[in-house]
Amino acid sequence: MAQTLYPRATVKKIVKAHSNRALSKNVDILIYLNYALFMQELLNEAAIQSKQAGERGVTARSIRRVSERTLRKYKG
Amino acid sequence: MSESARKKQRLSPERNMNGTPHAAARIQPSTPFRRGTSAGPTPGDSKTPTFRTPGTGRTPRGGPATRPIPARRTAPTTPHAIRALRERANAARTPGNNRRRSGRVQRETPRDILRDLSRALARDNRPTEPSPQVLPRRVRHSALDLPDVEDGPDMQAPRLSMPLDDMYDEDSFHDAPPRRSLLPELPDDVDGGTVQSLEFGRRAISEDPRFMFGGRQSERFADFSELGAVDEEYEVDGTFINRRADGLLDQTIDDALDEDDTTTQMRALTGRRDGRPSDVDLGVFGEADDDTDEPTFRFLIPERIRAPVLEEPQEVEEEERDWDDGALDAEEGMPVLAEDDLDDETAALHGDEPTNVDGIVGWESDHGSDDDADLTAYREEESALDRSLHTQSPERSAAAKQQAGRKAKELRISQRGLEYPSFPALPVKKLALGFMKSQGSKGQLSKDAVAALVKTTDDFFEQIGIDLAAYAQHGGRKMIDESDVIALMKRYVTFHLLYNCTFDISAAD
Repeated sequence: MAQTLYPRATVKKIVKAHSNRALSKNVDILIYLNYALFMQELLNEAAIQSKQAGERGVTARSIRRVSERTLRKYKG
Repeated sequence: MSESARKKQRLSPERNMNGTPHAAARIQPSTPFRRGTSAGPTPGDSKTPTFRTPGTGRTPRGGPATRPIPARRTAPTTPHAIRALRERANAARTPGNNRRRSGRVQRETPRDILRDLSRALARDNRPTEPSPQVLPRRVRHSALDLPDVEDGPDMQAPRLSMPLDDMYDEDSFHDAPPRRSLLPELPDDVDGGTVQSLEFGRRAISEDPRFMFGGRQSERFADFSELGAVDEEYEVDGTFINRRADGLLDQTIDDALDEDDTTTQMRALTGRRDGRPSDVDLGVFGEADDDTDEPTFRFLIPERIRAPVLEEPQEVEEEERDWDDGALDAEEGMPVLAEDDLDDETAALHGDEPTNVDGIVGWESDHGSDDDADLTAYREEESALDRSLHTQSPERSAAAKQQAGRKAKELRISQRGLEYPSFPALPVKKLALGFMKSQGSKGQLSKDAVAALVKTTDDFFEQIGIDLAAYAQHGGRKMIDESDVIALMKRYVTFHLLYNCTFDISAAD
């Protein structure tokens, strides 16, 4: 069996636990794509933030600083 | 024992066949260790029986180390045989045990080395002059005597130690020598290895015959009474100064027990009130190394059993509640209702406080009285007694934090009260590294950066799960559908469009 792109069952379990609802058949793929977009946005913001702060590479501090903003951007 | 004897009987004929072939010898060895060979070669046997000279060292008086070990030996099964074999191996490894070889240096000690050095240097060396102050007191300088001494036929071998009479001068600035126990004068040929030094008793308590046989009862009349307290710790026995063993034992046990409330149980465990005091250190567990400092039968009272009893009971409860709160805070995404339960619990505890004033600690039963389902589920891993034992240990906070972190990593509880796993770190790292490489930066992420990304991922999934549940409920569905996700993403799109529109408008202006 080939290596899957993401742990599908884990994503299903997490979303199901948070929403307390069942998931239809392929929603988790859409959710994961959404998550990929979110990660791209987050890393862009983190790169910008770390460059502004003069850090080398993306550090945990820059990620933490931009994470709340990006999460709010992705709130429905 | 009979088992091992039978083994020896069974094994010995084969070894004897491999021994020295002696045609004339039909002589059976008569030592009891060899008796097994009588069952061995019959007179009609083709192979010759063996005969051994006593010089081969195989006689049983050669000691345990020289006793022959058969080449092919099955592993012993009985505990006696195992222990005997182990003791034999230890005895063979220890060189000091073959005392019979007189005249040989059994073990080379620093004293032997020094003695050899003194013998080597004694012929052409002179005694040391202790200090320059002594020199002018002499009539002739010692260097002037040198040719005469060397011309002399033989001089007495000098002692290499400092002259004692010079060192004990009143006007000497030397301090007194540290060892006062040296006997002042001995002739040179006397081996003063054991004579010249007084020593304390080195015998293990477990080997002391007085303790072994319970001692004279008249020495121990004070111990039999309940009130008898042993005051002195030392007893002088000739040149030996022994530390009194049972007094020390009782003292440690008393020290351990006086601060404890469970004294009766411990007394029942040790049984020291009704048994003879010398029963404690029979030589069974005796180790010769630590006879005085560490009694072999000491009970170690752990710190965490003893300490919470000494404090105020409310304090213990407070601390335990704090610990619970800390665990709650460390664990993110803990449901609000569980915190409410905890508040209820603390309220109940504060309500219980007037009943606890009389000092009877009932912390365990208190928690047992108001056990909610959530609380029991929360405490399912370790019982309340264990946690209360952990409260006073110094690594408590660290352990609690670590445990909370481990629990948070393994199973988290959502707002709905459902358990969910954390998102694994490896896909997050892969995805992030892919995005970073597409951005053109180097694909490097530190460990805590990955941890931060995983935490953000968990937050994201929590948020999107709640949002999708809201969308599905709005649509009147039980199941989260693709349309919900698309609707959610459309909001992002409008969000982005809003950005783009403002950008376009501002650019147009």
